[in-house]
Amino acid sequence: MDTYEAGDVTLQKVREYVWEIPREGGMNTPARVLASERLLDEISEDKTLEQLKNSTHLPGVTKYAICMPDGHQGYGFPVGGVAGIDTEDGCISPGAVGYDINCGVRMMRTNLSYDDVRGQEEELVESLFANVPSGLGGGGVVESDLATVDAILDRGMEWALEEGYAVPEDLAHCEDEGVRHDSDPSKVSQKAKDRGKNQIGSLGSGNHFLEVQRVTDTYLDDVAEAYGLEEDQIVVLIHCGSRGLGHQVCTDYLRKIEKAHGGLLSKLPDKELAAAPAGSHLAEDYYDAMCAAINFAWVNRQLVMHRTRKVFERVFDDDWESMGMDLLYDVAHNIAKKEMHTIDGEEKELYVHRKGATRAFPAGHPEVPGTYLDVGQPIIIPGSMGAGSYVLRGGEASMDLTFGSTAHGAGRVMSRTQAKKDYWGGDVQDELAQQHIYVKAQSGATVAEEAPGVYKDVDEVVRVSDALGIGDKVARTFPVCNIKG
Amino acid sequence: MSYELRDHTADVGVEATGATLGEVFAATADGLAGAMCEDVPETGERFDVTVRAESKEALLFDYLDELIYQRDVRAVLPVENEVEVREEAEDDENDQSAWALEGSARGVPLAEITAREIKAVTYSEMALEKADSGWRAYVVFDV
Repeated sequence: MDTYEAGDVTLQKVREYVWEIPREGGMNTPARVLASERLLDEISEDKTLEQLKNSTHLPGVTKYAICMPDGHQGYGFPVGGVAGIDTEDGCISPGAVGYDINCGVRMMRTNLSYDDVRGQEEELVESLFANVPSGLGGGGVVESDLATVDAILDRGMEWALEEGYAVPEDLAHCEDEGVRHDSDPSKVSQKAKDRGKNQIGSLGSGNHFLEVQRVTDTYLDDVAEAYGLEEDQIVVLIHCGSRGLGHQVCTDYLRKIEKAHGGLLSKLPDKELAAAPAGSHLAEDYYDAMCAAINFAWVNRQLVMHRTRKVFERVFDDDWESMGMDLLYDVAHNIAKKEMHTIDGEEKELYVHRKGATRAFPAGHPEVPGTYLDVGQPIIIPGSMGAGSYVLRGGEASMDLTFGSTAHGAGRVMSRTQAKKDYWGGDVQDELAQQHIYVKAQSGATVAEEAPGVYKDVDEVVRVSDALGIGDKVARTFPVCNIKG
Repeated sequence: MSYELRDHTADVGVEATGATLGEVFAATADGLAGAMCEDVPETGERFDVTVRAESKEALLFDYLDELIYQRDVRAVLPVENEVEVREEAEDDENDQSAWALEGSARGVPLAEITAREIKAVTYSEMALEKADSGWRAYVVFDV
């Protein structure tokens, strides 16, 4: 089949798993969807393709806007969307980053095996739930004042290191070594800081979680070894973002841009795509504020990881260093970054917007941390509670195909309202318990809304990423304990 | 005035109606609360909310953002929302505040309920329009 008909949108097959929507109307470039036909059947069911087409109306979009294999409808820009936008004559769009700036995932290794944990899952899940703040109004690991918030916005994980919440290896194993020096705390509003100050070190709710997992399979032995992963090993996955602080930064700049750049906005098909033209004050201010929120999110995940180490120390009566609880890597999946990319043989600086997409730089790329330079950047793809997750490595084709990006998760297929009609939290928990997965949540409704059946098949998402060579399969994990808001 | 939660793949939509602009704003705000918590006790003190903006749509956006902000800093869920909307006099030269709102909500302490977080209000697909019996609003919230 050379074309795929999705309502009034016709996608043309470029090659296996690469589909293109030709430029038409106000689109500045074509759009591409990276998916198997099975995933495309799901992607074309909601407004994902319309939102993807809309995003190409942004000035300065280079080559094409792209939807990843796990893409689905979001607000403005689809979730799973990637756009590389020229920093000279393009724009930056808060809505194409998302409210949860630097929502992301980190994985911590341990040297415990599944057998070491069996029999203690309930104690572990109870202790994690009691000690890692989650849900609405659950507070944070640290109670802080505005001076502390400013220090975090300014210095990111360097602050955590100074305060004893991190060790130097944690910074070395984080994207950008855990600090964006472009940040400017003075560009973050008082309102945002007020929201963030009591949430430092907290999961929040929705699809955010902390999961203890066991590695069930490894695929690329040399890469798995470089990542320190082996079968039956216990790892911990932490998924959360910049909390109310980041949400407020996005909201504030969306409104400022709407007021100042109405001319550009009037040409965009969705108000949520509001964008500040490159070189404008608001483009600079938003970028600096977003970088500050990125720092906040890294510290947030660091404090959750720090608390997790303490919980493991108590439950397993050993210190965390002896249990090998080292950070494997931390990736952001809601972010815009200034990056250099080769476009038609020319080096160009782009604001690479990744909303629900993960950076996936291959081996040898100068921004891959030294430890992983020879094998490629680790990518962590969280799946649903019942399906497990994947570790990939940045693939050789990613720079050419996707501005160095791949998927960020399984991607939803069912709405939260429908999920609550179809599932009851208690039943979902019981079914998972039968598979030896221990789940504890603030709200039964959250468990229902996040039931395994509301997600795409993560195996299929990863298979497509691997086949395209944008993110190669390294290891698969399966949940042991899961806590959520 | 009333609201319904609408299907959205990742987030949640609120469709609200009201006889006046104030009623449809309040119903949308009740929908925001309904999306966070199904079971709300009769506790909590009322607090006031004041917002100004350059258009009706911007006022609705800023109002819902203000409630989310108040939720986080007061640690309460704003319920039983009441709103009055007015258009400022024409001689107001500052176009940035042509519309104003005075409202209040009962703030149920988060410590007393099990609630899920709505992260933010969005402009995506937002509708605020005259309907047969008054006004209709549709707002997508980021979960």
